[in-house]
Amino acid sequence: MAHPTTGGIRFDHVTVAYDGNVVLDALDLTVAPGEVMALLGPSGSGKTTALRAVAGFVRPASGRVFLGDRDVTGLPPHRRGIGMVVQQYALFPHMRVEENVAFGLRARRVPRAEVRTRVAEALEMTGMGAYARRHPRELSGGQQQRVAIARALAIRPGVLLLDEPLSALDARLRSGMLAELARLHRELPDVTILYVTHDQVEALTLADRIAVMDKARLRACGTPRELYRAPANAFTASFVGNANLLPVTVGRDGALLGETELKVDTGSAVPGASATLCVRPHLVGLGDGPNRLTGTLAELQWRGATHRLYVDVAGHRVMADVRELKAPPGHGEPVSLHFAPGDAVLLPAEVSADDR
Amino acid sequence: MTGEPAPGAVAPRRSEDRQPGGRARGAWRPCLWALPPVALLALFFLHPLALVVQQSFRPDTGGTSLRPYADVLASTAFREALWTTVWLALAATAGCLVLGFLLALVIAFVPFPGARAVARFVDVFLSFPSFLVTLALLFVYGSVGMANGAWTGVTGAAEGPFRFLTTPWGVLLAEITYFTPFVMRPLLAAFSQLDTAQIEAAGSLGARAPRIVRRIVLPEALPALAAGGSLVLVLCLNEFGIVLFTGAKGVTTLPTLVYGKAILESDYPGACVVAVVNVLISVGLYGLYRVVSRRARA
Amino acid sequence: MWALFLLLFLPLFALPLLVVLGASFATNWSGVLPSGPTTAHYAAATRGEALQALTTSLVTAVAASLLALTAGTWAALAAAELGKRRRKALDALFVLPLAVPSVVVGLATLVAFSQPPMLLNGTRWIVIVAHTVLVTAFAHQSVSAALTRLDPGYAQAAASLGASPAYVLWRVRLPLLLPSLTAAAGLCFALSMGELSATMMLYPPDWTPLPVLIYAATDRGALFTGSAVAVVLMTATLLVLLAVSRIRTRASYR
Repeated sequence: MAHPTTGGIRFDHVTVAYDGNVVLDALDLTVAPGEVMALLGPSGSGKTTALRAVAGFVRPASGRVFLGDRDVTGLPPHRRGIGMVVQQYALFPHMRVEENVAFGLRARRVPRAEVRTRVAEALEMTGMGAYARRHPRELSGGQQQRVAIARALAIRPGVLLLDEPLSALDARLRSGMLAELARLHRELPDVTILYVTHDQVEALTLADRIAVMDKARLRACGTPRELYRAPANAFTASFVGNANLLPVTVGRDGALLGETELKVDTGSAVPGASATLCVRPHLVGLGDGPNRLTGTLAELQWRGATHRLYVDVAGHRVMADVRELKAPPGHGEPVSLHFAPGDAVLLPAEVSADDR
Repeated sequence: MTGEPAPGAVAPRRSEDRQPGGRARGAWRPCLWALPPVALLALFFLHPLALVVQQSFRPDTGGTSLRPYADVLASTAFREALWTTVWLALAATAGCLVLGFLLALVIAFVPFPGARAVARFVDVFLSFPSFLVTLALLFVYGSVGMANGAWTGVTGAAEGPFRFLTTPWGVLLAEITYFTPFVMRPLLAAFSQLDTAQIEAAGSLGARAPRIVRRIVLPEALPALAAGGSLVLVLCLNEFGIVLFTGAKGVTTLPTLVYGKAILESDYPGACVVAVVNVLISVGLYGLYRVVSRRARA
Repeated sequence: MWALFLLLFLPLFALPLLVVLGASFATNWSGVLPSGPTTAHYAAATRGEALQALTTSLVTAVAASLLALTAGTWAALAAAELGKRRRKALDALFVLPLAVPSVVVGLATLVAFSQPPMLLNGTRWIVIVAHTVLVTAFAHQSVSAALTRLDPGYAQAAASLGASPAYVLWRVRLPLLLPSLTAAAGLCFALSMGELSATMMLYPPDWTPLPVLIYAATDRGALFTGSAVAVVLMTATLLVLLAVSRIRTRASYR
């Protein structure tokens, strides 16, 4: 390969602006070699811009982008040696599958014999060996996706950029491709992957670490488990998994939700300050227990294996996911909920996620 | 793409480094690539055009003066040609608009099997030169042509009644025939965007056809009509072949006047003056057409 | 509605072409139908002067189309790389020949190339130059329209795979533009084949294209011979357009 890029990706204070609108604000992020990093966020959060800054399609207004220890900020895209797969695949319609996959190798003047073996190898890896002679329009969406991945892998990139690669597929195909991507990464453990998505399931399933983005900024970065168990802020809590976010006042060894005293780990929070209490719905139980909350049932959804209860507690709506109930309570009936002190996290009070 | 900024999400700041640093460094390269075609255009089109303007100020008697302009603008031949050109172009445009609208209406909304063939035919028709129409009209309405021949055959008269071909009316007929498809094409495109359900709904509510056309179809077609109409106006102002082929010595338009002065009379300054006037009129109108058609597309 | 349509459409558009076709096989037309069927006009229209005019027209049209396509495509590609304001200026510059009357283009070419250092007057090149100028605007317009419709994702995907801009242009963008390029070529060819106004100002005696020949025939009253030559012109144009659209459907079906 012309430019071996092992050694991951580093964003150093990267800012991108279009016509004075900052779409990526001083991003600092390091992706370790061989790591899968998901950039997770709603549309307009700057995640795609970050990926395109790595690919070289947007030029940062300030800051630097590194591939390994190579500063690529000023390098045109074709000198970066990265693989990229986008949402619409962008397979060349006038070339057969094998020509599409060979494109990057031919552009690099790889010897003919080697092109052939590497194309076969890439198609084999993505299970598309039987379709080499087809044209892209003769393939289904999922097959086109596989070809796009084969095309990106054929150049043996050190870094693979995936921009919402599954969002054009239907739900059933998507979970299959997700497993496929996970398998590919096991087979190619040295490839660093930057995976842009707005879908938390994709991020949680695939990523070693997740970078949560919102409004052009990095809001949190950590392993899926860290972000899920101990989110750093309310936005992360609500975007990675479901969350009950309740406004509380910090007490001496707990928090006050209205009049109700709740036992939680206050950490370094100052007593008297306002904070947000985060509890995952599946960690909220029905009936008596520690940290009891009483209210009335507003809504009940049966989801097969579970029931979701929406309970109005002192003017706040609390969600609880419980094992399927044999005799569910009726609408408007009084209901008690509880949660273990260790399952709740106190977050700094901020503009709540609903006000986004 | 999901990278677009949420409006107002972040206050614009750092305006001093808005333009990425490398932009200014590489800005000359695209310009350099644009240079060869621009140079060719300048050499083969812009410079010759400039020479025409220059020559229009150089009377044969020598020196630089407005003499050619004074001479040409004062001559009755020029004034008549200008008047003929303008009214012919306006009348032909009006005719094309009415006829084109009617035909496009039928092609678009009356279902019949040959509609696609007709659309193809219109395309083919447009790829032929305009003077073929005049040539055909010579056979149909010429002094010994089809219509007059039929008349003399039936009535026994010595001469037929159709002798308009060598008058401006013959030119008008030919121009309407040739340029109507230029109106039909944008109209058909506009009609294909029109929701037929809307028309059916109006019909089911008891609206009569003329009312449907006036209230629903016409407003939708207006931008396309404006664009097609102004294009036809420019093309008619510049039309040469049709006028030349009628062989009508009585019909002189600005383009034929340019030809006559330059080739037949070898009066180059005079031809250049007429050319400058013609260019000013048609380029002005073409600019208008671009503005109108851009608005029509938006 | 149907009857109205036929009443308007047939006489206006189909009739002219049929009349020219009919007349080309006749020696006399002073009744409702032509009389004196003959193919003598075709014998004349495919030999000697007329045959030379046909090759003249074909050579001129092919040369002008190819030159115009090259210049127009180059300009459109270069304009796409420019900033918004410069791009608009370049586009306006290249559509200008559309707005200028072709007679004036002929006059301008005559004035500019009748004197040294570029003495083209009296040669075939002055005709080809004028035709090229006239059709470049059409080529530029269709190619820039196609370029704005072209998804930039293809070029970006190619660049991310390591292809240099030149390689991307040659292997991705131009092949994807091929249908539009052939359409533009066909348009330019047809326009050049039928060009009369500028040609009348410029043609040297040994480079007489078909339209000039048709005019000369009708002017001296040989309407039937003129019709036969006109049919030859139409047929040649149609055949080339057909071939071009063949290439186009194949290019877009890949």
